[in-house]
Amino acid sequence: MNVESKLDTGGATLSAQEQQLLNEFLAENQLFYGPDPEIMRNHSLSARSPGEERALTMGLDPNRMNLVRGRIGSALEEAFTMVEQTGVAPGAKWGDLVSAVFTASGDMSQIGPHGIAVFASVCHYPVRFVRKYWLNDPSVGVRDGDAFIHNDSRFGNIHNTDQSMIMPLYHEGEIVCWMAATIHEGECGAIEPGGMPSIAESKFDEGLKMCPFKCAENFQLKRDLVNFLQNSVRDPKLQLFDMKVKLHAVIRLRERLLAVIEEFGKEYLIATLRQTLEDTEAEVRRRIGEMPDGTVRINTFIDNDLREHILGKWPLEVTVEGERMIFDFRGACPELRNRSINANLASLKTCLMSNLAIYVWPDLPPNQAVFSPVEVLTNRNSLVDPSDEAPVAMSLIPLFRALGAPAQVMAKFLYCLPKRYTAINAPHYNQPATFVYGGLTQHLEVTGNFCADINGNGAGGREDNDGEHAMSPVFGAFADTGEFELAEEELPFVRLVAQQLTKDRIGFGKHRGGLGYEQIVTVKGSNMFGFMTGQCGAKHPSAYGLFGGYGCPAYPLAKIKDVNIFEVMDSNPELVKFSMIDLMNEQAIPGARYVMQDAGMNFELAGEGEVYMICQGAGGGYGDVLERLPEDVMRDVEEALLSPRLAREIYFVTFDEQTLVVDAPATTAARAAERAARKARGIPFDAFCAAWVKPEPDPALPYLGAWGPNDGPVIANPPGGVRVVMAPDAVDGVMLSNPKDRRIAELEAEVAALKAKLAAA
Amino acid sequence: MKRVSVDIGGTFTDCFVSWGECYVQAKALTTHHNLAAGFNEALELATSELGITKFDLLSQVDSVRYSTTLGTNALIERKGPRIGLLVTDGFGSSVPLSRGRGHGDGLPYERQHDVPRAVRPEPIVPIPLIRNVRERVSYNGEVLLRLDEDDLRGKLRDLVDQGAETLVVQLANSVVNPAHELRVREIFLEEYPGYYLGAVPMLLSHQVAGRKGEYTRAMSTIIDGFLHNAMYHGLGGLELSLRENGYAKPMLINHNSGGMAQLNSTDALQTVHSGPVAGIAASEHLARETGLGNVIATDMGGTSFDIGIVTADGEKHYDFNPVIDRWLVSIPMVHLVTLGAGGGSIASYDPLLKRVKIGPESAGSDPGPACYNRGGRQPTVTDADLALGYLDPNNYAKGRIKLNARRAERALLEALGGALGADVIAISKVVKETVDHNMANGIATELRSRGYIPDEFTMLAYGGNGPLHCCGIASALGIGRVLAPPFSSVFSALGAGNVNQLHIHEKSTYTVLFHTALKKVLTDYTQLNATIDELKQRGRDDLTRQGMPPEAIKYRLEFDMRYGNQRAETAVAYDIERFASVHDALGLIEAFHRRYGERFGEGSQATEAGVRINTVRVSSYIDIDKVHFGAIMPLAGRLPAKPVGTRPCHFVGGAGAVGTALYDDSALVPGTSIDGPAVITTFATTYLVEPGWNFHASNHGAAWFTRKA
Repeated sequence: MNVESKLDTGGATLSAQEQQLLNEFLAENQLFYGPDPEIMRNHSLSARSPGEERALTMGLDPNRMNLVRGRIGSALEEAFTMVEQTGVAPGAKWGDLVSAVFTASGDMSQIGPHGIAVFASVCHYPVRFVRKYWLNDPSVGVRDGDAFIHNDSRFGNIHNTDQSMIMPLYHEGEIVCWMAATIHEGECGAIEPGGMPSIAESKFDEGLKMCPFKCAENFQLKRDLVNFLQNSVRDPKLQLFDMKVKLHAVIRLRERLLAVIEEFGKEYLIATLRQTLEDTEAEVRRRIGEMPDGTVRINTFIDNDLREHILGKWPLEVTVEGERMIFDFRGACPELRNRSINANLASLKTCLMSNLAIYVWPDLPPNQAVFSPVEVLTNRNSLVDPSDEAPVAMSLIPLFRALGAPAQVMAKFLYCLPKRYTAINAPHYNQPATFVYGGLTQHLEVTGNFCADINGNGAGGREDNDGEHAMSPVFGAFADTGEFELAEEELPFVRLVAQQLTKDRIGFGKHRGGLGYEQIVTVKGSNMFGFMTGQCGAKHPSAYGLFGGYGCPAYPLAKIKDVNIFEVMDSNPELVKFSMIDLMNEQAIPGARYVMQDAGMNFELAGEGEVYMICQGAGGGYGDVLERLPEDVMRDVEEALLSPRLAREIYFVTFDEQTLVVDAPATTAARAAERAARKARGIPFDAFCAAWVKPEPDPALPYLGAWGPNDGPVIANPPGGVRVVMAPDAVDGVMLSNPKDRRIAELEAEVAALKAKLAAA
Repeated sequence: MKRVSVDIGGTFTDCFVSWGECYVQAKALTTHHNLAAGFNEALELATSELGITKFDLLSQVDSVRYSTTLGTNALIERKGPRIGLLVTDGFGSSVPLSRGRGHGDGLPYERQHDVPRAVRPEPIVPIPLIRNVRERVSYNGEVLLRLDEDDLRGKLRDLVDQGAETLVVQLANSVVNPAHELRVREIFLEEYPGYYLGAVPMLLSHQVAGRKGEYTRAMSTIIDGFLHNAMYHGLGGLELSLRENGYAKPMLINHNSGGMAQLNSTDALQTVHSGPVAGIAASEHLARETGLGNVIATDMGGTSFDIGIVTADGEKHYDFNPVIDRWLVSIPMVHLVTLGAGGGSIASYDPLLKRVKIGPESAGSDPGPACYNRGGRQPTVTDADLALGYLDPNNYAKGRIKLNARRAERALLEALGGALGADVIAISKVVKETVDHNMANGIATELRSRGYIPDEFTMLAYGGNGPLHCCGIASALGIGRVLAPPFSSVFSALGAGNVNQLHIHEKSTYTVLFHTALKKVLTDYTQLNATIDELKQRGRDDLTRQGMPPEAIKYRLEFDMRYGNQRAETAVAYDIERFASVHDALGLIEAFHRRYGERFGEGSQATEAGVRINTVRVSSYIDIDKVHFGAIMPLAGRLPAKPVGTRPCHFVGGAGAVGTALYDDSALVPGTSIDGPAVITTFATTYLVEPGWNFHASNHGAAWFTRKA
């Protein structure tokens, strides 16, 4: 339940004056400055401040404002380059970072030409927190040269592994704007290494929870605070170094913006930051207005909460009415109170904004106004709008859907429009498919982080082309999967498969999705090192198809335990295959234990030479497979991306396997036959509903979410728990039992049964 | 000194001849079918000016040096052999996937950002020509899986059967232990000896690029193999032509490393962008010779704006992972940034932000700006320059192109007039100011992200549009001094004649100088010194093979250093022969600390996070005689010049037309001083002296622009 600042008056009716008095009393006697709903539930632009109003009405030259915008862009690029070049976290090295400028009110106005917009967009929340709580607090205050650090996503962040450095820009005693630099840092002292603990059962398992606080004064870090933070994480070197990096980046940014003020005047900077937002918002409203009115919906399902299988609903219904656009998430899976996959509403909104900025309107300046006109509906205490007590360490599970699904829904609004802002596209793959690692390196350093190949999701098929194979992460436009030779140099692992495209694991379609790649890793050189993964989609596909295209496949995790693969390489090299499929199908290594499981794996120490395998996934397919050009099918076969069998069975292409020459008449006939067969298999919608629609989910199904209309009751049927049905306005969080306890109970029942059987015998 | 240097560009072949104290420049159209034809034409122009024969010239010069865009063009046109690629099993998709970023490398930001329209470039090695080799070497060189030679023989046969004309081998960690790559070549030569007809060349990645990074090393080797034939045949033909005309010495080829070598010691990859890099080399030479201090070299042409940095501190500014065409590679290349801004850049209105946007689209030279009268309808920077009165419609590009002012004005008004609600002059001013500021921002980002302050630099402005926009760009940057260099129309050719014979060798290492957890500073330098010795030896071999005396060889030692596990980008030059004591180690840590602080801000250093060397780099070079410019610095005297006319011109920040004095080539007489506003239209280019600036001609066609206080 969200705890808001509201005094219980015992039901008495208060006058406005009395209410004001009580509000002041509450403000003066606040126990703790927690996440403020007034800030955290509001993604609108602030009203024009008096300073902005003055600057925007004094008749400034729009062409000079454009020059100012160019200056800010240059400064942001410089700051980005500094962080990218000097940052220590893999996220910094491979593009998961951003630098940004905010208005004095805290609205995110501009990011550099490169960088992850979603990190910056979410940062307006902590800026507002600093303004509201610390600016006038005599024990804290905000002065020139101060900097504030922050990571707790309850105060505005994607997840707690990202850390931001925020600094005000003062000019003649007045805050003109704010600046921030953010990096996906990785390690944050959580219950599992690497910053994204999948087994966190409460927020107190998540490691550092930095609400915005002052960490630097007079442009210098306060070493006592840095020391405290270093003491709280596994990688003190990373903590120290990247704090310095971010601080110096915002200091550099400050110098440049002061130069802008000196050259153009303060009003030009203020006006430019504000005008950019207002112009963007107006354009978004115009674009919404040109779309047809209507409602489009999609229901997606999360198949895993990283501890057990569930079927958690993640619905999205988009309604357009004139210039209004409403994103409706009601009916979503209820909050999981002791599982890590909840996502704060503010984080969700920012990811929705990112999706629009990357996949729908990439020509817009990626600022906060891209999403400010959109209205959002949720059920309180749901997976996408949980209470502040819910663990959110692996919020990526629902958030990555928000980074992919809107474009799929929007495609149905945009398809009929004469103007394209970009190509209509099926969803990018949307799981954080990489290894999170932690432990002691071969160089005797303690570390915890994640691999950069999270940045290589398969792209969705497009209206005019196939999707590109593994390119950029779903949350960013131009990031880097890195070089594995460099990763192996720093970390005690060997990539048996670094990047190998996944044959047959395709989102089929007229234009197929781009493929992902296999990732196989093993440990070498440390006896204290291990892995976890934080993804789902092993039973239910994550990226769906569009306009008849297929969704991506499901991707499980596999491992080979009780083996030292290096000994096998030496003694029986022929048994070592560089393919997940071959290794798991053949299971040829004597004595080894082969394990297949869902894609989310809690952290475990890996013995030297034990093998872990996952897949980076494919994008969704676009259009009917029967319309795919046979030569494109043959190209996929020739490139060993597609087996001849699937070429025949999915695409209905007839061809010579030796020469790959297509038999065109036979293909036409096969496709015609399949179209006829489809019609024969088809049944009327009402008949379908009669046969398939059930009044409630099967009792054995661990279903969580609305069953039927999304604005209806929400069902929670947690594994091993009792089913509850909640009214939509009274959704409450769900506690799940420990899978190990359930397993113990099962085993105890078996033992009891066996004992009983024995006694009976 | 007698020397010929040539820059073979896409359109022109530029030639610069030093003949004792006499310097001659010449230009001819590039003849792509036979480069020697264009070169000979340019050479004949030069010899006729000198009054000697081509044979006299070529038989007496100490060297003939080339920089060429042959490689760049071959890459863009995809003219090269069918390449087969052998990689370590498990790395089969590293090249096709291009680190997940290949869709955007080499493209402007707008296209990098448009994910739904992203398309990777047509691959040089298609997937069916990639084979996985069963082998594995660890990060420190340990063989984890022995090379499966039978399997390899089958894969080689596959690739040859599929028609591979060049083979590239890229095995994991081969820069640390190249045994498997070398064994692959042995087996290949056993199976397909070099004396067979149609023998297929094989390139090993560790011999092309010395640093770790499987993708960039693979792409370096692939591009090297792809360009080899074009370069070998193109330059080989040139060398033959030289021999027939009396030249008996080895032809020298400019490298993108800023050095040069004989043709037989040149990798094709090293020639890409060697032309623009030669321009930067010329800037460096000018700066050194004249004591200019820090210099920002800018080359503004029709479609692009190239930026290079030369600093007085002697630091060499390199890109170690530059993008060539659309691919990230691993070679030390002189830092060169190209912005999409030139005379042909198209101006458009962005209704969203209510601004005029310049580029990245360009009208190029065909159809070109609207005023070219060749069908272009979109307004460009050149159209705005014409409307503002800066260009002479009858004397543009040496009179070859007659400019149509009415077409320029109509294009500007149609595209921008309605949105801006302004007349053509106001529109043109916005275009001019915007493009100048865009370029200034590009320069500022480059300089500042390296820790430099723009107003501490002299700007060198060359290229067709450089002297036209230099005052505007410099004003936006806060730079008060601009030099239009001597021989600016053949500046890259001039640069080609002034570089050292140089080879750079580098090698990845994992050397911890200061281990923070163990509180230990490196004291055993055996391995580090062995690496330095190995790299020096390779450089020495390269130069002695070309006939250079070993005693003349100099070495420059450089280390890529990191704090903790940060990204290795800070190159630190260290004046030392070998590491002998802890003083040397601490000295290097101190040098790193100093350079890092200069670049990223004092206090940003973090020695306490540990210090590591990631790459050792040795530049081996021979200092050679260079062209002496002597007195190109501003001359003491100031001679008046007589205008040849006046024309109304319009300037940013000014109101109304200004009767602007016009000058011709006579303004380049050394000592001539002209206060702005003025327009000087010469045979080679147009100089715009904006109000508040002074033009002062120096020797050899050099001209100084100085902002008046």
